[in-house]
Amino acid sequence: MKLKKICNICLVLLLLVNLAGCWDQKGLDRQVFVIGIGLDKAEEKGKVNVTYLIANPEVGSSQTASATDEPSFMTITMRASDFVSMRNNANVAIAREISYDLLSVILVSEEFAREKEFVRFLYTAEKDREIKRDIHLVVTKEKVKEFFGRNNPKFLKRPHKFYEFMIERGVEIGIIPDSELHHFFRVTEEDSNLFLSAFATTKIPSNKDNYRINESDAVAGDLKVKGDANNAQFLGSAVFLEGEMIGTMTGVETRIVMLLHDAIPVRDVLTTFQDPFSEDYQLAVRINQQKKSVVKMDLKAKPPRINVKLPLTIDVLTDPGMENPVENKKKVERLRSEFEKEMESKIMEVVRISQEEFKAEPFGWSLHARKEFKTLKEYMNFDWMKTYPDMKVKVDVDLRFGKFGRQPKTPSYKGIRD
Amino acid sequence: MFKLLKKLTGRKQKLNRINLKDTLEDQSNQKDQSVSRQIDVNIERIKKIYQIPDNKDVKVREFRIGGNGKRIAIFFISSITDVRTVEDSAIKPLLQETDMDAEIDKILSTQNVTAISEIKEVVTNINTGNAVIFADYETKAYAFECANFQGRSVERAENEVLVKGSKEALTEKVIVNLSLIRKRIKNESLIAESVTISERSRNEVFMLYIRNVADDKLVGNIKNRLQNLDVDAIQNLSLLEQYIEERRLSLFPSILYSERPDRAASFLEDGHIILLMDNSPDALILPATFWSFFHTPEEHYLRFFFGNFVRFIRVIAMFITIFTSAIYIAVTSFHAEMIPADLLLAIAGSREKVPFPIFFEILLMEAAFELIREAGLRVPNPMGPTIGIVGALILGQAAVEANIISPIVIIVVALSGLTSFTISDISLNYALRIIRFLFILSAGLFGIVGMTSLFAVGIFYLVSLKSFGVPYLAPMTPNYLSSGDTIFRRVITHEKFRPGYLKPTDMKKKSNGAVR
Repeated sequence: MKLKKICNICLVLLLLVNLAGCWDQKGLDRQVFVIGIGLDKAEEKGKVNVTYLIANPEVGSSQTASATDEPSFMTITMRASDFVSMRNNANVAIAREISYDLLSVILVSEEFAREKEFVRFLYTAEKDREIKRDIHLVVTKEKVKEFFGRNNPKFLKRPHKFYEFMIERGVEIGIIPDSELHHFFRVTEEDSNLFLSAFATTKIPSNKDNYRINESDAVAGDLKVKGDANNAQFLGSAVFLEGEMIGTMTGVETRIVMLLHDAIPVRDVLTTFQDPFSEDYQLAVRINQQKKSVVKMDLKAKPPRINVKLPLTIDVLTDPGMENPVENKKKVERLRSEFEKEMESKIMEVVRISQEEFKAEPFGWSLHARKEFKTLKEYMNFDWMKTYPDMKVKVDVDLRFGKFGRQPKTPSYKGIRD
Repeated sequence: MFKLLKKLTGRKQKLNRINLKDTLEDQSNQKDQSVSRQIDVNIERIKKIYQIPDNKDVKVREFRIGGNGKRIAIFFISSITDVRTVEDSAIKPLLQETDMDAEIDKILSTQNVTAISEIKEVVTNINTGNAVIFADYETKAYAFECANFQGRSVERAENEVLVKGSKEALTEKVIVNLSLIRKRIKNESLIAESVTISERSRNEVFMLYIRNVADDKLVGNIKNRLQNLDVDAIQNLSLLEQYIEERRLSLFPSILYSERPDRAASFLEDGHIILLMDNSPDALILPATFWSFFHTPEEHYLRFFFGNFVRFIRVIAMFITIFTSAIYIAVTSFHAEMIPADLLLAIAGSREKVPFPIFFEILLMEAAFELIREAGLRVPNPMGPTIGIVGALILGQAAVEANIISPIVIIVVALSGLTSFTISDISLNYALRIIRFLFILSAGLFGIVGMTSLFAVGIFYLVSLKSFGVPYLAPMTPNYLSSGDTIFRRVITHEKFRPGYLKPTDMKKKSNGAVR
């Protein structure tokens, strides 16, 4: 009797094993890992040229994996209807199953991003189970295929490391926006803001020496970099309105947007300001945002008004004029007012561009605006997107000085030179 | 017809018994007699029972008392008696006696003399190492204690090793063990009852408890269970454990087995019951909860933070033992997206040239580890286990170089194997090692989903388990008033109560424990 019972249990367990079937089981060595997907315009309508950037797991992983002479990544480009079906299509040239588990970046060529059709293809990413929402969206000036071909980072053998670090650091210092995919979907579906995507290129015009006053006040490709670090530049942002690219913003403009935007913390902004005491020099400063900006609105007024107070802490790190502003209260006050004036004018310039050129705002103020309405319907009737270009926007920068370098006091120039 | 046949066969059997003189029935007949007045009859009987002179170490000495010349015979088994005592306190005084009317129990200078009148008792006495004296014209025999069984002296504990604390371990002699425990609890209410548990070998178990602390019902219940065992022989406590436990097929042990007298004493003081037995260098502690297997005494000997640090390490080690291999399988074959990119690529890269699937690879190495561990245990050298494990790692290294196993598997298996050693209780250790294989199986079939369901089922089972009426996870769940000694322990002065699940008669251990 007991034996029968045990036999029955064993039988049931055996059946269970059959039932399990290991559907989902995939050996790691039977997969290849796509690090980046590139989307380019295809000649045919409804198609897209998909480029895969595939990592070679054997390079740089362990000492026992001996394939050091193999390249660390490979690319493959095919025309497909979307990048889900592409997974099987690519198997004509790739032996193993293609996995999106390590997918960390989707690159889109500017040409394709400016298409109206583009958003149809990107929304595939929302459907696929393996694609995570924290993947970054990057717009490249040239075709992505070419970008992958020319991008050859030094020291970072593994491609996923390069993209991860490049974007992470860029966001941290504010020269490229935090363009995660779910921000894109959120902003696009909210239909009242601009979405900023990171902008990158390897197409650097060699003859053009296009220096600006502020080095990051340019988009990728316009900055001259000598040496053989890498051909690729990540700088500035591509501006998307309703899922379609409509323009670019420089690194400095991107920074300003990110400082004003509450959702994106910028931690480490190093920049320069004109030295108010001597015309020839500039002061290096570090800008910290420790408190959130205060946004006040009067939407009943005609035209509606927005007042933003932006509290910032600023460290003055250099003093090439050797004026020692820290010694003198008046000088500090002058610094403050000059800085505030300069920042405000720059900010207002960005606001002007957004109102006149893009006709929508990237600062995320629509979220603050919602609080001003009692019902969602009222807000919808207000039509934020339409009203924004006519609004009167005022931004007050409220500066606090932090440190003046490790040693605040420098000897005066005259004292050294006498 | 059948009746006739039965009668015939029955008669035949009876006839056989008569013919064959040394039958079982005959033997027990011999024992059932009472002591005869004729000394020769008694001597014959005992000689027959013990097959003297074939039985070499059973000795008999016949002589006459010095004074009145009465015939005397002394029986004892020389290998288990102290022969010196027999000579000095019995034979010598009897021979040198000059008084004509002296009675035997007055002459003997041993610590106690008991008069017995049944042969059965005579035999029992001789078997337990006592000497028995027969005298002519007396219907009584005299037994006196002079047992001296050979055995080890008190040695260091080998399986439950502590850095701080007493080093003594229990030995095979129950009297020594009793003495070691009494040394720690010098109180008249420590009771050591003896219960005979087997029919043929007459194995005796000592049941220790503290009156006024241990629950009377529990004591009665366990005594009852011991008395109702119907077996010929139970050699030692390890076997007894399997006879009296409630769920013999359960993976989890329900009786704690310890070789440390200090541990036994501290459990006694909490109201537990201890079983001791001859030939067993250990004590059974019951009822036992999961926590008692998880703990070692050292955590209380070490200061608060140190002890809890050790506990913390052990909890982690327990989870590593059970889960690492399974998680590795689950994550690499079902949930690759959970692994950080670098590690994923490293694993994928190292697996490129390996022939077997991950599940099989892990199983292979785990089996190899268990094999080497078991073999190392039987190596006749205390260094055996260490050599075995080092051997396993070297073997693993070679396997990696031969492209049979990927190097990460070695790390995973070595980690889960080595951490299992932190669980010092042998029963729980085995349980965890087997459970590990179950988890590996479920992870291989269903990934994390399989593991979580097995874990949930396992927890259900643990909660449903009971050891002598005490829930297995008490006092954590169900909650009982106790000193809260579960995963972590409290500051010693805050451990005020005895565990409530034992229903001790006296709940409070100390009022505040502080210095008065």
